[in-house]
Amino acid sequence: MSKLDVRGMACPLPVVQVKRALEAAQGEELHVLLDDGAPRENVKRFAQGRGYQVQEEKLEDGFAFTITGAGAGAATPAREAAPAAAAGPTVMLIGTDRMGDGAEELGRLLMKNFIITLLDLNELPDRIFFVNSGVLLAAEGSEVVEALEELGNRGVEVLSCGICLDFYKKKEHLAAGGVTNMFTIAESMLKARSVVRL
Amino acid sequence: MIKDGDFIAIFNSIHRVMEAERLLKDQGLKILLIPAPRTLAADCGLAIRYAEDVRPEVEAVLSEAGLLPRDLYRKVGDNFEKIGEKQ
Repeated sequence: MSKLDVRGMACPLPVVQVKRALEAAQGEELHVLLDDGAPRENVKRFAQGRGYQVQEEKLEDGFAFTITGAGAGAATPAREAAPAAAAGPTVMLIGTDRMGDGAEELGRLLMKNFIITLLDLNELPDRIFFVNSGVLLAAEGSEVVEALEELGNRGVEVLSCGICLDFYKKKEHLAAGGVTNMFTIAESMLKARSVVRL
Repeated sequence: MIKDGDFIAIFNSIHRVMEAERLLKDQGLKILLIPAPRTLAADCGLAIRYAEDVRPEVEAVLSEAGLLPRDLYRKVGDNFEKIGEKQ
């Protein structure tokens, strides 16, 4: 039985921590202490969406969840058949703020559509890395900030390359997800079950 | 991405929806071009989302430019209710 305390953490950190702990727990029961409000809702939706059972208990300070192994009828059976911890995560590398070659305006629109469409899918990547002009999608002024935040709430780690943010002068203007470095990007890609590159 | 009460305007051409987006943004209106929800299949698969508070302005701009959407829906709970008949 593993224990985790995500109280005081800002979204989407509680979901990210719970996701990692569930992967590490490999089917064992997980106890989580968390704040009421968004963290409680997001973690519950995330865990139930992946076929786990969640028992809630109200505490003086927040909530305690007991999350038990993914049962039959899980929303994402593929994940159960090949647990992420055993097979490696699915990583998405987005190296541009446009999708495909051709008209710039269309490319931007398609990229935006692609990211928003991810929200309609059951099978999500474990991590999305933004590099080069891709980081503009996670910065202030991007129209997919709301979608990226929602992906974060569903357990997707949204990470932008720090050098790239610096280059585009967006270091102080990151609006969704966190900052990462090339070591993490390279390591994650090499350990991944699959890498989807855009 | 689509909250309860939001309006979803569906267009029948990529050029019309892009032109509509540009016009509305030029007016500083808070809209978002999104993939049309799967249940509301559209030819070009694109829609413009806006909230009730900007509805009169959005529809006035579109009407003036001859860019009224093919269909207009409103999100109510888990469903989309079709509103009136637009051309």
